[in-house]
Amino acid sequence: MTDAAESAPEAILRARGINKNFGAVVALENVSFAIPKGEIIGLVGDNGAGKSTLVKIISGVLTPDSGMIEFEGKQVMFASPAEARAGGIETVYQDLALAPNLAVWANVYLGRELTRGPKMMHVLDKRAMVANTDKMLKRFIRNVPPIDESVELLSGGQRQVVAIARAGAWGSKLILMDEPTAALGVAETKAVEEVIFELKRQGLTVLIISHNLDQIFRITSGVWVLRRGRAIGYRETARTRPEEIVLMITGAPTIAGTG
Amino acid sequence: MAPAKGRWSKATAFAGRNGVLIAFVLLVAFMVGTTSTFGTYQNLINVLQQNSIIGIIACGMTFAIVLGGFDLSVGSVTALASVVGATLMIDLGTVGIPIGIVGALAACLIVGAANGWLIAWLGVNPFVATLGTMTVVRGLIYVATNASPRFGVPYAFTTVGLGRLFGIPNPALIFLVVALLLGFVLHRTRFGHYVYAVGGNPAASARMGLKVARVRFAVYVLASGCAAVSGIILIGQTASATPQAALGYELTAIAAVIVGGAPLGGGRGRMAGTIVGVFLLGVVANGLNLFGVSPFWQPVATGLILIAAVAFDGFSKRGGFSSG
Repeated sequence: MTDAAESAPEAILRARGINKNFGAVVALENVSFAIPKGEIIGLVGDNGAGKSTLVKIISGVLTPDSGMIEFEGKQVMFASPAEARAGGIETVYQDLALAPNLAVWANVYLGRELTRGPKMMHVLDKRAMVANTDKMLKRFIRNVPPIDESVELLSGGQRQVVAIARAGAWGSKLILMDEPTAALGVAETKAVEEVIFELKRQGLTVLIISHNLDQIFRITSGVWVLRRGRAIGYRETARTRPEEIVLMITGAPTIAGTG
Repeated sequence: MAPAKGRWSKATAFAGRNGVLIAFVLLVAFMVGTTSTFGTYQNLINVLQQNSIIGIIACGMTFAIVLGGFDLSVGSVTALASVVGATLMIDLGTVGIPIGIVGALAACLIVGAANGWLIAWLGVNPFVATLGTMTVVRGLIYVATNASPRFGVPYAFTTVGLGRLFGIPNPALIFLVVALLLGFVLHRTRFGHYVYAVGGNPAASARMGLKVARVRFAVYVLASGCAAVSGIILIGQTASATPQAALGYELTAIAAVIVGGAPLGGGRGRMAGTIVGVFLLGVVANGLNLFGVSPFWQPVATGLILIAAVAFDGFSKRGGFSSG
């Protein structure tokens, strides 16, 4: 277990010995891994391998039964997604990310609304939020969708772009993505991937769960493989091939040694 | 060809957004044109007087429906306010008036808190929770009063229900204040914004750190608070404790909110729409009365308008006949 990524000095997040059981079901077993800073890292594995559980533990939705997590060199244990977000870790889900009936600006500011006037009344400062939203989204998106439009009138790709840019705009350092393009077409997937690249260009770190190995090889610089709750290994994307990753996912004997 | 089509689709889009308002204006124009009595001061005052109590309940109901729920208990809660408040005023005399108001409000807020607790924290479906409290509250009122009314509320208090200021009935003025205040809360404040967010996507709202349960709780307390205000006005109109008061008001209020453009699915609707919905139903009832139609036809009309409004809304959203 001396993977390059785990011992890399520049890891933004490190996990050691994570265990998580759901009753008699072992979801994660002694998982240790690390995410190199400033990279787009893939997290792959078959259904039930524990990918979503791991992401939920990092993002504070679940707490592990044992193990420790270090974020930016400090030991952390987030009790809720709000705590993780305050610490700089944001999650983008395949769905459930936006309120469809609210405008783009309202979704970007959801839970962080700007108010004006007497403090007790919490009157919304819509003008300021609309103006800021435009700036915030332009940082990551070339074609910003209409700020004042309801999210339900946007395409699936535009919605996901807004959700990802929102995570980046709020100063997150690590963005977790669970199948962000699973429901999207080719062109929309490309638009979402461009935003993910833009996050990296601006120094953010991305951990992306994907079933699409083409996508993993297109956008990541490293990939972690989980199998039946165990971290099987880490590969630098440039030094591996899809065939090897598939073998690691399915459990056939690995050919190459560790990097 | 193309510009004509564009103009047509713009017109249908406008009609789709403002269908209720257009229907209301046409109805009022029709009433003014076909009767000599509708436009008289006395009749308009009647319409205001008769619809203010439902209107105030509907303001609270708008919050519950935008939240993605509704509140069936508001009719019973209105009766509760009437019985608790009037009983205190009757037994304590003029000094009992403020005590009666406070007592009525307190009793109703307890019911609202029970609704909110059941729905927000126990996850009980709003239909089940508020159907339950509606039945329990009405039953307790009957037990406590033996289902018979009591009279003798101090005369001074009838000012609230029957008095006028600048020629406008006091209940209508109270309705105006409630509607403006709650319209401001719903459309301009962070709390109102959260009601829309939770109504649109509760899971996303929770993920973004909103205290979803607290928002739900507050909305059901608010709905009961509005019913309490209506019940207190009712004391001022009847000068009595009336156990049978406000039967079925919850359904009329829900109908008014839906006719006003807020679908039951939640996340949508405007306070102004609710007010138009209240008066649309109110003017139809008034019109039937003026034309000498039996009052038994009134629920028939309300039901048909409700169905027509929802059908028209679905029709205009699908973009007319062609793409249905």
